Amino acid sequence: MPMLDIKNLTLEIETAGTRVKALDKVNLTINSGEIRALVGESGSGKSLIVSAISGALPQKFHLTADRMSWKGKSLLSMPTEERRQLMRRDIAVVFQNPGSALDPSATLGEQLEESIPDELVEGKWFWQRRQSRRKSAISTVHKVGIKHHRHYLSAYPHQIPTDISQKFMLAMALISQPKLLIADDPTRGMETTTKTQVLKLLTRLNQTKSLSILFISHDLLAISSMCHSMTVLYCGQTVESGRMKMLRKRPLHPYTKALLDSAPSFQNDLPPKSLLPTLDGTIPSLKHVPIGCRLGPRCPRAQRDCVITPAVRRIHDHTYSCHFPLHMEKL
Amino acid sequence: MRILGRFGILFSLTLLVLAIFSFALAYLFPGDVLTNLTGIIPQNDAHRELLIQKHRLDEAYFFQFVHYLSEMLQGNWGYSFVSGLSLKEEIGLALPATIELAFYAMFIAIVIGLPVGCYAGLKSYTAADYSINSVSMVGYSFPVFWLALLFILLFSLELNIAPLSGRISLLFDVPDKTGFILIDILLADNIDTSLALRDAFHHLLLPTLALSVISTASMIRMTRRSVIDVLNRPYITAARSRGLSRWQTFSRHILRNALLPVLPLLAIQITSLITNAMIVETLFSWPGIGSWLIQAIYQRDYPALRVGMLAVATVVIMLTITIDLFNRLIDPSRDKYERATV
Repeated sequence: MPMLDIKNLTLEIETAGTRVKALDKVNLTINSGEIRALVGESGSGKSLIVSAISGALPQKFHLTADRMSWKGKSLLSMPTEERRQLMRRDIAVVFQNPGSALDPSATLGEQLEESIPDELVEGKWFWQRRQSRRKSAISTVHKVGIKHHRHYLSAYPHQIPTDISQKFMLAMALISQPKLLIADDPTRGMETTTKTQVLKLLTRLNQTKSLSILFISHDLLAISSMCHSMTVLYCGQTVESGRMKMLRKRPLHPYTKALLDSAPSFQNDLPPKSLLPTLDGTIPSLKHVPIGCRLGPRCPRAQRDCVITPAVRRIHDHTYSCHFPLHMEKL
Repeated sequence: MRILGRFGILFSLTLLVLAIFSFALAYLFPGDVLTNLTGIIPQNDAHRELLIQKHRLDEAYFFQFVHYLSEMLQGNWGYSFVSGLSLKEEIGLALPATIELAFYAMFIAIVIGLPVGCYAGLKSYTAADYSINSVSMVGYSFPVFWLALLFILLFSLELNIAPLSGRISLLFDVPDKTGFILIDILLADNIDTSLALRDAFHHLLLPTLALSVISTASMIRMTRRSVIDVLNRPYITAARSRGLSRWQTFSRHILRNALLPVLPLLAIQITSLITNAMIVETLFSWPGIGSWLIQAIYQRDYPALRVGMLAVATVVIMLTITIDLFNRLIDPSRDKYERATV
């Protein structure tokens, strides 16, 4: 049984009387001990999925799903208190903008220490508990690669550089020893060495503590080196999802292929000074989403049938939704 | 320390400008400059010469002003035309009465306004919020003199719950020590303290209520707005997604961030509070600076007007700067070396 199982998640946003489907029948599963990548252009709804899982959606967003469960328990019908405990113990989220996701009026140490669930604090008396909190805060901060804990734990969010606050968000997520880490672009804006450190840390935690990770990023190189499986999102629709190896070797959806082709490091036979292959056009805005397959207007293989939303098809654990998939001749 | 210095400089410079203005008033008011400045009408030419000599009115304006400033600093504020009493003594009696009234109104505004505002903000856009908001809107839009008159009509004349005017019944002979009636009662030793306190509270009831309705309403509205703003911030979402309970999120993240922007608004409120206090005390014959100044206006008591204006302005500036300083000290996201403002 998958750890987190989402089927046909639809998110509607009400704007001026009409409802726009920001997410259209999104499927996502994360197995225990798996690192799953969630890829897509900006505006494809990746962060909305994060908010939907963490239950942080505004009131005017309407969420429906055929299934949205955590270890078999439905997240949609779960009582608030249970959901809260779940978020406190099992799921941790690293949000996209670390600068605004930290409380400007509290020191980083305070915010880090309040993320520790009570069960993980040792000691009976408050001074012992305080010491224990302090100790685990310092060790977590070291773990994510911040050296000067004395300086940074007593600093306020506006006093620290962005990459440090990103690491702090990661530390705040990891300090509760979660089972699933949802990391929304955790390495954005970091330079390569720091990024490698962070990715290594995540991989190590995945291997030693069997931490499942939902890794959301634009960095295809990092994704292909650390993730086991990948889900590709385009304009609120899941276009393809499967094991990383399969997707890289034989992408079935034209969008996945275009995405992979646009990363130069995946192409060994790229002639010098040649143009990188890209899809024409840009991702449509939510006001003007095409009917049917939303890739339609940009897709090189589009035909008349593409105005009907393609059903999800499946080959083993590789799912795709396309009427005219690539590489099918060979089968 | 540096920030204290900055605020100190700002405070003294503002006071200097005010002092220049009040000195200029002596020339701007109609009538004799000498009497405007001192409040003493000279008996004969010899007396007049003496006074001019004493106040250096025969020297250049600059030296006149320097002398005026030193006199003010030493507490020689001149005399009232009308009563002939020292202005320092008169203001020393009247100003504390106003401050006392404004303080109680502010106290009520904070004690009631903050929690109610927080509650409305947390329950934003529900029936509870809408009703609190509309009640506070109505309270905010009452003209204070009308409200005070209404209170007098209803509570004093119809229901006879509270006395009509004054600070305390004339039966109690409370010696003036601090100027604050409640403290004076506690300090007085020849009266029945509990009876006197009850009587003073009865007298305080209506003016404080009339004043605090408006302050409380604006306090509720400011707090509510600020709480709603903070609720929409990403760090609150992040705190919730970390599984903090509702109370933890409120006490650790919402409250502090919501109160930080309310504090400077509070400083702005103080000015209108003092103004309202002056109106209210005129209606209730409260012996404060407001009714005193209005009497001075009626009787063309220029020295009193000059010094009264200076005294009120000083109090307002002092409170504003103190609150801003306090805000600067407790708000970590504001730069400590930012310029000071009034």
